[in-house]
Amino acid sequence: MKRAGEDFDVAIIGAGPAGMAAATTIADSGPTVVLLDEQPRVGGQIFRQPPAELQQGPLSIAPGYPWARALIEACESHQNISFRPRTTAWGTFREHPADGRGALRVGTYADPGGSWIGASRLVIATGAYDLPVAFPGWTLPGVMMAGAVQSLLKSQRVRAPGPVVLVGSHPLLIILADQLIAAGGEVLEVAMARGLPTPREMVRALSAIPGHVRLLTSLAGAMTRLRRAGVRISTHTVVDRAHGSDRARAVSLRGIDGAWQPTAPARVVVCNTLVVGYGFLPSVELARQAGCEVRWAPSRGGWVVAHDHQQRTTVPDVFVAGEPTGVAGAEQSHADGLIAGETIVRDLTGTALPARRTRAKAARARSFARVVEWMFPPPLTELADLVDDDTVVCRCESVNAGQIRALLDHNPHVCDVNAVKIECRAGMGPCQGRYCGTTVAAITAQRRGMPIDQVGAFTAQVPVRPVPLAAISGMDS
Amino acid sequence: MPEFTRVGIARTRYLTFEFEGTEVPAAPGETVAAALLCAGVTAFRVTGSQGARAPVCNMGVCFECVLVIDGHALVRSCMTPAREGMKITREVDA
Amino acid sequence: MTASDRADVVVIGGGLLGAAVAWYLAKEGVDCVLLEADQVNSHASGQNAGSLHFQLEYRMISAGLESARRAAEAMPLHLDAARTWATLSDDLGEDLGVAQTGGLMLAENDEQATLLEAKCAIERSWGLEVEMLDRVDLAAIAPYLSDRVVAAARCPSEGKANTRRAAPALARAASGLGASIRTRHRVTRIERRPGGWHVRGMAGQPSRDFGVDAGAVVIAAGVWTTQIGHLVDVALPTSPAALTMTVTARTPKFIGHLVQHAGARLSLKQSADGNVLIGGGWPSRLARTAEGHPDLSRRPTLIPESLLENARAAIRAVPAVGNLPVLRTWTGTTSETPDQLPLLGPIEERPGLFVATGGSAFTLGPSYARLLAAVVQGRQPELDISSYRVGRFRGAHVA
Repeated sequence: MKRAGEDFDVAIIGAGPAGMAAATTIADSGPTVVLLDEQPRVGGQIFRQPPAELQQGPLSIAPGYPWARALIEACESHQNISFRPRTTAWGTFREHPADGRGALRVGTYADPGGSWIGASRLVIATGAYDLPVAFPGWTLPGVMMAGAVQSLLKSQRVRAPGPVVLVGSHPLLIILADQLIAAGGEVLEVAMARGLPTPREMVRALSAIPGHVRLLTSLAGAMTRLRRAGVRISTHTVVDRAHGSDRARAVSLRGIDGAWQPTAPARVVVCNTLVVGYGFLPSVELARQAGCEVRWAPSRGGWVVAHDHQQRTTVPDVFVAGEPTGVAGAEQSHADGLIAGETIVRDLTGTALPARRTRAKAARARSFARVVEWMFPPPLTELADLVDDDTVVCRCESVNAGQIRALLDHNPHVCDVNAVKIECRAGMGPCQGRYCGTTVAAITAQRRGMPIDQVGAFTAQVPVRPVPLAAISGMDS
Repeated sequence: MPEFTRVGIARTRYLTFEFEGTEVPAAPGETVAAALLCAGVTAFRVTGSQGARAPVCNMGVCFECVLVIDGHALVRSCMTPAREGMKITREVDA
Repeated sequence: MTASDRADVVVIGGGLLGAAVAWYLAKEGVDCVLLEADQVNSHASGQNAGSLHFQLEYRMISAGLESARRAAEAMPLHLDAARTWATLSDDLGEDLGVAQTGGLMLAENDEQATLLEAKCAIERSWGLEVEMLDRVDLAAIAPYLSDRVVAAARCPSEGKANTRRAAPALARAASGLGASIRTRHRVTRIERRPGGWHVRGMAGQPSRDFGVDAGAVVIAAGVWTTQIGHLVDVALPTSPAALTMTVTARTPKFIGHLVQHAGARLSLKQSADGNVLIGGGWPSRLARTAEGHPDLSRRPTLIPESLLENARAAIRAVPAVGNLPVLRTWTGTTSETPDQLPLLGPIEERPGLFVATGGSAFTLGPSYARLLAAVVQGRQPELDISSYRVGRFRGAHVA
């Protein structure tokens, strides 16, 4: 087969902590690395940097990650790392697909054209995205994901209009509310679905994770400042409905018990921005398209890529690191990336890098991740209860829950989300089902009385991101 | 109309692009989406029956921020740096 | 449902063809049980491009006029299909998205134009309405076409139907008339009994045995036709062809015809929702078992070169599609016969068994079904289907 495009020893998709850790580990030992990301700079979402024109002073790093600055600087300057910004990876193929061997080829797209990247190893470090939660009124302008409001604030330096109400179940919400106030914003309430950790639980968590003291103290500090600023912090409270006609103007919140059943009538709070933060979904589409097996892990975000202790997936030569293995925070992602890097270095050069520090770090990260899992798991099945028949589920194609429920009722043997998709178009728009897949699965599972992991997931097909037809046609065969 | 507010650093100069026939300012480094949000735009995408949509994720996943930019369709405005003279319109819902 | 029950006819396969057979039979009061291993419409019927094409396709004319003439023996079916689709939505009381706004088969040079003229002559001899258009004509009715196109053959009855709707609508209609549509019923045995056949298999999850006695059995199993044939020790020669489809984001309507090409594998249309669907017979890679046999239980995988070449052909013909983002590709498998004509009719060696597959089974499916339903009930079909008889391959080596 004619070899066209560019070749590297290792291709890494995603320049967050996992991708950067793998890239620097490998590049330090000699093999060439290409590092792709859709964003203009390395860092991923957690260390998302402003563009150079909006940066003032040193890199802004979330507190608690002493290794991050050096990692970012290394990726930006290492001679063995080719960083490809604003580049989309849309599919993975093999040179000799019939016997599953040979070099890997990744189809990429960077405006205006597409190109091939060849590599003998691939690391999928595609991170995660804010869990889309459907509820009545969620499509109104002004309803935004916590990650969006935070990245607009930190890397675009623009602050969402107040009054702001934040709803969710993830501690990020507390941090973000604090950041908005520090930037001069008006925050009325943070409504958390569960209770907040008690001081005792915090101490227990602290002892389990000596390396993460800074993270928890920043959380405690944020809560103190919020209370001082008069922000209401409510617990066991979820979003009921966003109100408004052309944009969000208010939100109804309601109290729930441990089983997510309402305990009190909803109350209305005025807002111009409603921030939603119920957790994260691992980005596993690229891995699934490459043929990697996935496992159902609800406490870690849902479908996650299966891997061994060396970060190998079920596809030869393809590795996974970070949030696609389960949402567990930047420390775990960093550790995963280091392990994947070490494994690849051994594969390609025969050198075994000293792994004791990495193993210890990984163990600490796993303890912390377990604490986070226990304290703040995303409530995937309960979230389907927030939806009423008029609620838009597939935003791209404007398919509402009532239409999905009706099609399930009229077609009693449909019990798979791909069959639902074909019948009603949910999942057929440009977001390729990322924003509706979990809700469609939850509704289907509920209607059929089946566990949510038995109704499947939308097939991950090429291209895993939309790519202009002309860009594809211009690629070398 | 509630708009996003520029904070943190002083922007000393602005470029302009055109959105639906109107001039919109943007500081160098800002994305088209951020600039539009600061201009108080709340309708990025207009669906047939279901009203206007605006950016939700700011990381290229939701496709609610898509606009036609210099003739290119379905461009994610949250991932596109604003440039002087860009001509931007909403997608026509098919 | 009891462990074994009875029907007049068992139909094996819940795609468009099987569902249509069940409907035509049920309309005449025949007691029908349809057995589908998966879900109705979950395979080729729901995965194809939805084209309604009645002109001879590129793959039929690319091998020369002699093979084109042979392929044209299916023309009576094409004409029948054009008429059948035109009223099918009304007949079923459900909108199948049928739009017969015309098809254009393109020529980019004189050689291709000449080939198209010869093709039209063959088609007209069978009664198909088709005409040649020149650049001026095309500029008026199809301004979206590239300047490279010098001529086209236009067939007014061509167009498209909605693959998501057709088979399920037929199944619902059949069910409404008394047919029993049973999904997740996988047939594993077909045994001769006095007066007919006994069809057995596994149903549901967790599986349990089922069995149905019937006077007649219709095999409408698409790519599984040959395997089902083995259950009764009969050679039904089909082979799986894995194909590729590409679909773009929605855009305001600008392509009003089904577009095909005299010199390239290309089929292009715009759906009612506005997406552009691109296909034309580009291969994808069949999954294989460890021994190297086709594994029909797994989807074929995309061959990147097919995607690239299909994209190029599409942009050459309709330049504006280049600006459209591709949202997804998918693969599907269709069953082909050794001579491209369908298998349609009784299985002579097994009285009471019938089969329909092959050819362009989405376009021609309802026609196959109606003709076969007549044969199953012992009537002469309205069209002469002897060219499609199962026995025509006897004596020839079949894999």
